Amino acid sequence: MNLRQAAIIARRELRGGLAGFRIFLLCLLLGVAAIAGIGSVRSAIDAGLSSEAASLLGGDVELNFTHRTATEEERDWIEANSTASSEVITFRSMLKARADSDEADLGISQVKAVDTIYPLYGVVELAPAMPMAEAFETRNGLPGLIAHTALIDRLGVGVGDIVRLGTQDFELRAAITGEPDGTLTDIGLGPRTMVLTESLTESGLLGAGSLFESKYRMELPAGANLPALKKEAESLFGDHGMRWKDNRNGAPGISTFVDRMSAFLVLVGLAGMAVGGVGVSAAVRAYLARKTDTIAMLKSLGATRATVFATYLMQIGVLALLGVGLGLLVGGGIPALAIPLMADLLPVPVETGFYIAPLLEAAIYGLLTALIFSIWPLARAVDISPAGLFREVSGHANRWPRWPYLLLILFLASALVTLAALFSGVPTLTLWATFGVVTALIALALAAMFTKALARRASRSRSMQGRPALRLALGSIGGPSFEPASVVLSLGLGLTVLASIGQIDSNMQSTITQELPERAPAFFVLDIQKDQMDPFREAMLADEGTEDVESAPMLRGIISKINGMPAQEVVGDHWVVRGDRGITYASTLPANSSLVEGEWWPEDYNGPPIMSFSADEAAEIGLGIGDEITVNILGRDMTAKIANLRELEFSTMRINFVMVWSENALTGAPHTFLSTVYAAPEAEGRLLRVMATEFPNITAIPVRDAISQVSATLDSLGSAIRWGAGTTLLTGFVVLIGAAAAGAEARVFEAAVLKTLGATRRRILYSFALRSLILGATAGLVALAAGSIAAWAVMYFVMETGFELHWGSAIAIVAGGALANLLAGLGFAWRPLATKPAQILRNRT
Amino acid sequence: MGSSVLSLENVQLTLQGNAGPVPILKGISLNVEKGETLGLTGPSGSGKSSLLMLMGGLESSTGGNISVLGQDFGNLNEDALARFRRNHMGIVFQSFHLIPTMTALENVATPLELAGDAEAFAKAAAELEAVGLRDRTDHYPSQLSGGEQQRVALARAAAPRPDILLADEPTGNLDSKTGESIMDLLFNLRDRHGATLVLVTHAPELAARCDRIIELHDGVLA
Repeated sequence: MNLRQAAIIARRELRGGLAGFRIFLLCLLLGVAAIAGIGSVRSAIDAGLSSEAASLLGGDVELNFTHRTATEEERDWIEANSTASSEVITFRSMLKARADSDEADLGISQVKAVDTIYPLYGVVELAPAMPMAEAFETRNGLPGLIAHTALIDRLGVGVGDIVRLGTQDFELRAAITGEPDGTLTDIGLGPRTMVLTESLTESGLLGAGSLFESKYRMELPAGANLPALKKEAESLFGDHGMRWKDNRNGAPGISTFVDRMSAFLVLVGLAGMAVGGVGVSAAVRAYLARKTDTIAMLKSLGATRATVFATYLMQIGVLALLGVGLGLLVGGGIPALAIPLMADLLPVPVETGFYIAPLLEAAIYGLLTALIFSIWPLARAVDISPAGLFREVSGHANRWPRWPYLLLILFLASALVTLAALFSGVPTLTLWATFGVVTALIALALAAMFTKALARRASRSRSMQGRPALRLALGSIGGPSFEPASVVLSLGLGLTVLASIGQIDSNMQSTITQELPERAPAFFVLDIQKDQMDPFREAMLADEGTEDVESAPMLRGIISKINGMPAQEVVGDHWVVRGDRGITYASTLPANSSLVEGEWWPEDYNGPPIMSFSADEAAEIGLGIGDEITVNILGRDMTAKIANLRELEFSTMRINFVMVWSENALTGAPHTFLSTVYAAPEAEGRLLRVMATEFPNITAIPVRDAISQVSATLDSLGSAIRWGAGTTLLTGFVVLIGAAAAGAEARVFEAAVLKTLGATRRRILYSFALRSLILGATAGLVALAAGSIAAWAVMYFVMETGFELHWGSAIAIVAGGALANLLAGLGFAWRPLATKPAQILRNRT
Repeated sequence: MGSSVLSLENVQLTLQGNAGPVPILKGISLNVEKGETLGLTGPSGSGKSSLLMLMGGLESSTGGNISVLGQDFGNLNEDALARFRRNHMGIVFQSFHLIPTMTALENVATPLELAGDAEAFAKAAAELEAVGLRDRTDHYPSQLSGGEQQRVALARAAAPRPDILLADEPTGNLDSKTGESIMDLLFNLRDRHGATLVLVTHAPELAARCDRIIELHDGVLA
């Protein structure tokens, strides 16, 4: 092979211009731009989170405790190691709109009780603007309170109104419009309310056993050794429920969410790149078909196969670089230009810039895709004899490339998948996504072959005789053309992604909203004190709309050790040991559960602490009867042995706990009660007002609100993913247009001959439309099947729930496929219909 | 000879070229009688094929009148012309012009289907057998030789039993031996079905097989 000669020939060939490569360039541009755009936005958010880390965290370091404040020893350590520190207590409560009215509206809120030093970093933005001291100062005996605009709007109150938290009245001083350490993860159930901690003394909200978190933010001296401090704090307080965060990752929740979300979107983008690859392959095939004579001539003149391969690979390489370059400009440029304009609207800090890493990642994907999809048609074109090339006018040779080319394709594809797995940070998901895309491509290729064979057969069947438009349509699908495969692959893959997302979304929504247990509670009620339990039950049951009230004592604690070893070392990152868990005690087996192993303890059991553990979770983390679990409750380690295992049913939404302890082990610990209230929807408002008036310290979470919150979150996630899939579909549509454009000349000729044979324009148009509809619907049907299988796999294996085909989304996919291809086809039908036969037939030899 | 089936009166055709209007036909008048075979000869560029296109309604004249089987082409739009060809004409081209996505059988059956013939495929198969292609019915055009493709084109033109057969240098792309057999077939078909035949050729020996020969030079009848 002579590379110099190949380069010279390639340069001469490229002088012919880029006319045949518009689709090639557009496919690469779209694929690369989508991935580069997603990556650039991720980098901008990561950089924003990093530069705002201390402000987002509220300090250089945060020590976090559950259901207790720091001990003297812990406070001493915090003071000794910081230049300033601040205490923040967070909990849920009900804010009552008008303190003096029994009919007033109530809103659940995430309350943040702060000290006078808060915030250590950043500024709380208030409307009207005022210093924090002024917002909280006591005027006319009433302390100040500030609340998020959303809560103020919901309760219909205004600045200066009297509101109530627990039993304490406050004056609403201002609306919170910006909170430096308020992040996406804090939104949860209910917008923010902020008060001074000391003003809650009389509220009855922070009693023994109440569910709150305390956070101690530290400002560190310059040059402080973070890792060493972390190690010291964990060794001193790690066993007492202390959790550490620092400014190396100020908002781990958001950061992880953004990384996961963008990794997922990049995978969707890669599916779009595969669709673009189909377009690339079709464009290269069409280009080489036009170059058949040149290739044959070059070989006749003595060019080796390798030289010819290099000649055309260089041309494709140059064009691929151009397409990738344009994609990077669009994908990197649009976020860089748009983010500064939108920064104030985004819920996370962003730092505008031109980030190299995501652009490099997108460029690698783009170039590898271009190569993978170009080598096959290129290898086929150079691998046949010059005589064969001359004969093969329409380039329909159906042979496989020689094995070295196949190996090269396999190597490049493996490199692409490996790099995607590395870059995404979620290798398992990447491998599954790759498996899905490859399986879908194979299924679509088989479907295209099957459709061609079926169409060929159908066009020759007796039933088609006398239906020339339909037979023409079927005949052209079944005939020797690559267009059907191109259409089914490109449109099909785009629709497969959309179908799977649509089915997953619909199934998730229906699981949450429609498949609730028949008897779902109206409220979960937290923080009921022991002496309030009987009056609470009576008050609830006094309303005629109340059906039942279930209650259980509840404590919260963190599983710190298993058989004396740190829990996370034993079982890894299982959810049971990740955060704090609800714990209850009982003398009899709770309802909604059944023993599967071991014996329940006697009602008057008074021996060493023992517990019952959920059988499913025990199996997942490898626990059995006799194992010892240590739980840190309010800073105290308490240990119990597993005495039995029970089967739980969480989906009933009844009270359930993974751990149920023997009563004698926990009755001494301060705790509250959890209740679920079953009531008719019309009674919910009355019950909420009774709770707020008679039991002001408790927190009622309306189940309906919680469900709509989850549903809304799913909606937002679904929208983001649908936008990602939209680029895949757009690429698919570009490939469709490419396929239609590539077939346009053939259509013009076909129409000219058909007119000569007596076909009217209407009949020709009908035939073209039928052809497009059949191919589009086929792509839609295969996409629906492949997408539904993918969605089933996600629902069954990942979500561990059932799957049901949602017909609305399914019909939309099939109809959308048919319509998209019809539009692309009809867009190119005008010229064949308008052109006079003589013009075509005279010029064509 | 019977009544006139093709009547041209002062027919003109001027095409728009890049350098301005190009006159192709400059006032052609002629009549072709029913059952007659007419040879149209002349050098390349004399306007033979253009005249045939006008006779087939594939091109619109820029002047004069064309009447076929008593139907004035000037009064017919594109679709009406297509219907007219479907019912009365068969056309054979030098480059065969078979539809590449259809098999030989499907190509031949198409005009019959378009005319609503319920026996389209049976007739197409019989026609292919008549041109010696019984074993090639399921082949696509790309799988056939030039001679075989032209035989399919002949079968396609003859299958609907047209009143008029128009042939535009049907042997132009074939070797002389194959060309000869195609001409035999063409004249056999015409003889069997009694159609009027207009044959464009620049081969004098082929034109000599026609009842009458007309020569074109630079867009006018010589």
